[in-house]
Amino acid sequence: MKKYEFNEITLLQFICINLGIQVSVGALSLPQRLALKASTDGWMAIILMWAITIAASWIIIQIMKKYPDGTLPDLLSRYLGKWVGKAVALAAALYFLYYAYVVIVSTILYTKQWLLPRTPGEIIMLLFLIPAYAIASKGLRVIGRYAEVVILLSGWMLVIYMESFRDAYWLHLRPFFKEGWYPVIAALPEASLSFIGFASLFILYPFLQNKQQAFIGITVSSTLSMLVYLFTTIICFVYFSPDQIMQYNDPVVTILKVIKFRFVDRIEVLFISFYLFMFSLSWITTIYFSVFCTSWALGKQDHRGHLRILLFGAVAGTYFFMPTEQQKNQLEDLLMQIGIGFEYAFPVCLLIYLWLHERVLGRIKR
Amino acid sequence: MSRRLLVAFIVLAVAFMTGCYDRVDMENVAFPLTLGLDLDEKEDLIVYVIEPVFGEKIKKKSNEIAVKAQSLRQARGEFDRYSMGVFIGRQIQQILVGRRVLQHDGWFQLLDVFYRDAKNSLTPTVIAVDGPVSEFISLHSEDKPILPLFLNGMIESKSSYSETVKADLQDLHHQMFEKGITPVVSEIKYKKDVYLEGTTLLDHKGVYAASLNKDETIFLNILKKKSDIAHLSFNIPGVSAESPLVTGLLSFTVSEADTKIKTSFRDDRFRFEIKVDMPITLTERVFSYHVEKNKKDLEEIIAKQAEQKMIKLIKKIQKAKIDPIGLGLYARAYEYKSYKRVEEHWGEALSGAEIDVTVDVTITGSGPVR
Repeated sequence: MKKYEFNEITLLQFICINLGIQVSVGALSLPQRLALKASTDGWMAIILMWAITIAASWIIIQIMKKYPDGTLPDLLSRYLGKWVGKAVALAAALYFLYYAYVVIVSTILYTKQWLLPRTPGEIIMLLFLIPAYAIASKGLRVIGRYAEVVILLSGWMLVIYMESFRDAYWLHLRPFFKEGWYPVIAALPEASLSFIGFASLFILYPFLQNKQQAFIGITVSSTLSMLVYLFTTIICFVYFSPDQIMQYNDPVVTILKVIKFRFVDRIEVLFISFYLFMFSLSWITTIYFSVFCTSWALGKQDHRGHLRILLFGAVAGTYFFMPTEQQKNQLEDLLMQIGIGFEYAFPVCLLIYLWLHERVLGRIKR
Repeated sequence: MSRRLLVAFIVLAVAFMTGCYDRVDMENVAFPLTLGLDLDEKEDLIVYVIEPVFGEKIKKKSNEIAVKAQSLRQARGEFDRYSMGVFIGRQIQQILVGRRVLQHDGWFQLLDVFYRDAKNSLTPTVIAVDGPVSEFISLHSEDKPILPLFLNGMIESKSSYSETVKADLQDLHHQMFEKGITPVVSEIKYKKDVYLEGTTLLDHKGVYAASLNKDETIFLNILKKKSDIAHLSFNIPGVSAESPLVTGLLSFTVSEADTKIKTSFRDDRFRFEIKVDMPITLTERVFSYHVEKNKKDLEEIIAKQAEQKMIKLIKKIQKAKIDPIGLGLYARAYEYKSYKRVEEHWGEALSGAEIDVTVDVTITGSGPVR
């Protein structure tokens, strides 16, 4: 029986949702973080990480194929028992919640830094969460449509960056492998922060209309993310000097500051405002995943109750505690570590376990 | 019921959640267009601003303020006390820096507020002033637009002809932090009126190193591959001067000069082979000369002269231990290991480098007359 039939999503929606989760705030500071580790060789780490990500998503799909009509908790409760399923559902809920929190907190800090320095954090949080509720409460199909619209509306932003090629120094990229392979490998975790989010497959897989296309979908979305990162990173590397790029926290934004059109001043303000749409995809989807998991664990059909509690908690929490820039960086580092564990290491272990389980204990024990 | 709740919520939200915390009313702000930095006789920092004044009854079109301050942000506080509104830095068009300021390292750090405060723009052009800045600030030409607009047009148009550079704050930041290049900014001077001298070359720390005139700047821009079009005049030797009006002056336009730089490292020093391809069109010839017949000779003469001038420019640069051309970028790209060893004092390493220049001139047109 198909449990999630009423909320099926198309391949395009699947791609857009994934792209939306991946391309979020991490994109703005990525060139600087890569440059700190590997100077202008950092862009190679993006390509390597992309290959690793494709491999990891292939593994997740192999896992999900074992129970194509269920999410990760469904699958685990079938193989390992109800309580393991519930425990993993709660763990996944926490992970997605933390992901959403980090993204939204960074977005608030960006908004405060570039757009509304005097507006209190909790007001911005509230303003972000009202549309988030409107969309997340309606379920996955509406999220998918929203993702489609946002992605289609944001494509033009990359074109503006072309303007910066005029002042590019391509010499900055050479020579390749300045200090050998080691710095490139060291920069991999930094790149991973921008790719995590494909764990959405754990939840999205059963909702996908045509499950044979899951791998194509995740490959397309990861490749698109990779191209976006590669494009912005290389632009920043050829525009800023390798000695200079470390000076900017968000080179992807700073690069816009000198683009001047006769009809608009300070174009970076326009961009940050538009990025908000893009970033919103990231938290709306992960918040939805989070309440989906908690509702599943508590056996509730309607996820809206949990959604309300969560959003209210987020606003109230921000009133009492709003992370500073440095704390945000620590949160991001932690997310990076947890993300590598949950999205790269965990699927591998799980697949090995399931494989052994089938071989040793026969198909299904319980 | 839930619909009513929703309506109530929307009304409340509209009433209480307006994003007006960051509102700025136009009536309450002052937009300075030019910022000036200089040192007085006692080595105290003086900060100048020029702001436009709007109003029917006001005769003067701009208002100038000078204050003593230790930093720009502090100066802004002082400006506010002289002004009707609050000073907002985002419309600043150019920053004039006096020679006395440029003679001290650390002046670049004064501009920190532009990079750190996200509300400021990075588009202002940096202009070095040969002499005191106050001469320009107090200048009120009856027959010219106000200084900020005048300078804007001057730098914009001359830089498009390679006669100076348009270095905005972002460029300056790039050139200051990049170890393989030293900053170049435009230079103005007071010669009865505003006079564009050419460019000022700074060293790695931002301290004044040398000035270039118009022609030298053109050659620098060609070497930097930043020259789309440039107008030059050379004296052709061997023209018999029986009238004082007949000189050997030949004017031409260089368009799309192509520069190739080869880098190598041998015997413990860097070697750069610079090859410049200069397609030119003649624009003026005030002596008689058979261009068609002697085309090859003329090309050779021009190439020789251009070569000598570039070599002279490079000698000047090497003597000052700076690198406005950015040869360090080539050194890093092609001789990474050797460059890394001398990166911290690149200007010095470059002064010992061997730099060869060859120029190849092609006359692509000599105008509609013979």
